[in-house]
Amino acid sequence: MDEAAIEELELSDAESFEEVQLTAAQVIEMMEEAWVNEKFAPEILPHKMEVVDCLLGQIAYMEENLQSLPSTDFKKSIHQLEVDRLRFLVSSYLRTRLEKIETYVTHILKQEQQRHESKEDLYLSKQELKFAKEIAEALKQNFDGLVSFYPGLPLEEWVSQPVQPNMHSFVFLKSKKDVNEVVIDDGSIATEGESDLVDFREGAQILIAYSSVAGLLKKGDVKLI
Amino acid sequence: MYGEKAYALVKECANHENSLPPYNASLVQEVSNEIRTLVEENQEDAQTSTEETSDSGSVVSTIRLRHAAVKRNLRCLMAYHYNRLRLLRKMRWEFGSILPADIKSNLSPAEIEWFAKYSRSLASYMRSVGDDGLNLAVDLKPPKSLYIEVKCTVDYGRYELNDGTVLLLKKDSRHYLPRSECEELVRQGVFEHIL
Amino acid sequence: MKVSTIWQRQLCYAGQLQQCGDEVEFLGEKQIITVVPTFNSPVLHLISGDVGPFRAGLPTNVPMWLAVQLKQRQQGKIQAPDWMDIDRLTEMKENEKQSQTFTKMPSDHYMVEAKILLDCASDDIPRADEIRTIIKDIWDIRMSKIRTSVNKLIKNADSYAGLDNLTVMEINSIRPILPHALDQIYRIKASKKLRVPSQNSTTFHTSSRPSTSFSS
Repeated sequence: MDEAAIEELELSDAESFEEVQLTAAQVIEMMEEAWVNEKFAPEILPHKMEVVDCLLGQIAYMEENLQSLPSTDFKKSIHQLEVDRLRFLVSSYLRTRLEKIETYVTHILKQEQQRHESKEDLYLSKQELKFAKEIAEALKQNFDGLVSFYPGLPLEEWVSQPVQPNMHSFVFLKSKKDVNEVVIDDGSIATEGESDLVDFREGAQILIAYSSVAGLLKKGDVKLI
Repeated sequence: MYGEKAYALVKECANHENSLPPYNASLVQEVSNEIRTLVEENQEDAQTSTEETSDSGSVVSTIRLRHAAVKRNLRCLMAYHYNRLRLLRKMRWEFGSILPADIKSNLSPAEIEWFAKYSRSLASYMRSVGDDGLNLAVDLKPPKSLYIEVKCTVDYGRYELNDGTVLLLKKDSRHYLPRSECEELVRQGVFEHIL
Repeated sequence: MKVSTIWQRQLCYAGQLQQCGDEVEFLGEKQIITVVPTFNSPVLHLISGDVGPFRAGLPTNVPMWLAVQLKQRQQGKIQAPDWMDIDRLTEMKENEKQSQTFTKMPSDHYMVEAKILLDCASDDIPRADEIRTIIKDIWDIRMSKIRTSVNKLIKNADSYAGLDNLTVMEINSIRPILPHALDQIYRIKASKKLRVPSQNSTTFHTSSRPSTSFSS
């Protein structure tokens, strides 16, 4: 895939996304990469809804065209299978995100709040954020109900120590370009300037703690495999 | 000993990793009672020890112990309920928004309420994806081919396909059908996928 | 039993371990394969790109998932990829045996391609059974190297490892256990707050770093 196109896309916001001319094949490739990244990253990643919407648009357009073809048509069945494959891709991507949102809901909402306050881009899409808030509320009500038999019981443990993703879990990655001096997080507390560094060549495959490469992944310099 | 009942509650989850046993209201009640007793005893002791300031050392450790027991009990209580909600969530994905009666009868009122809310939130999320919504509860596995062969496990009766064809689904009958039209029935156990 | 075990169990299995073979196959099915159609049809405008035109008897390139459909409907024959050839594979197997490190495979999805094509089109591929055996041999040699490497990696308690030339399916085979083991080592290190010298980085391949490249 055209490296420049990806970079441009990631720098841009949803509006200028329209202006970047991408082929459908490139969009599919981006969706696949986002899917695999999301599958293997321990935390939720910044959403790629512009890719999702674009691909869903392609799918809807194709399905509309297919309606006029008789169901016995050989071409129709091939197109249909491709549509099903792509819909699986998009659905699986969104499902993976929902699973993370549900598992880490308290933690994720707290982070989103911080991002909002520091005017950073949110990681969740608008729809995901709404969903997250709703299920957090439903969960809170359920827990509140549990301890309502005695007012004032301390639930702070649940609130102050929400379930969090293990950011140090090990991931497999492929470097999309040469990256120099990646700081290796090995669990030890290194004093400044003493951290171990590693260089990734383009195309290199590495097994490393996610925390060492989270930033590179979000920038699109590496992808998970 | 403190915490034993709570332990039993958690143990129940561990013993039923993939199924939802009846909601154990009586055990939950007992754990709640234990928590209440411990908190009340602590409050009493805290009051007395402020009155007799001497020799409060032993009272303090008693209070600490009870407090730890309260925390542990609460933690177990939450683990038990949270774990059940996770299982319930899984069922929403498997069965859709309407639960089979035998499962529903195992739930507490609060769980039924949670399920309805979760179900609503999920449905409204799915409707909001893309322009026309996207049903995320299908296409769970990568599609291999358009048609799959299935065997019917029950006498289901008439079933209409998207193109208007009507099939009579009898027990042990075999059909060669578009995958997209069987997925739902495979999940409900009406069809068995023949590999 | 710790209360937290129940929570954790769910979390561990929730994301990482879920990519099953199906999904690795899904990605591999995009690989381009040559088919010889038995029918005529103009170009097909798929979302992922154009395929065809199909002329009976004339080879054309299509994604593997499409090739499989054509084969199943007896609308085409599959041409084995160049590397699915006894001589090439024998050479690959020899190289793999000689080399201390992992040799580069002709395709990043060689196992998926072999499995799918040999399953559905063994009648189109000359000496399919021998090919199946020899690919299995290559896989076994590589898996045994992986086991040695993993062993060394864990013993050295390394913080990262190079995995060049490992294919997706091979990586997937170590996914259930290796990252998890390293997580535990990470936790031990974090709790000891010990610094492990950087020379201890392990690589699965000959690295430019003069470290314990254990495969050599």
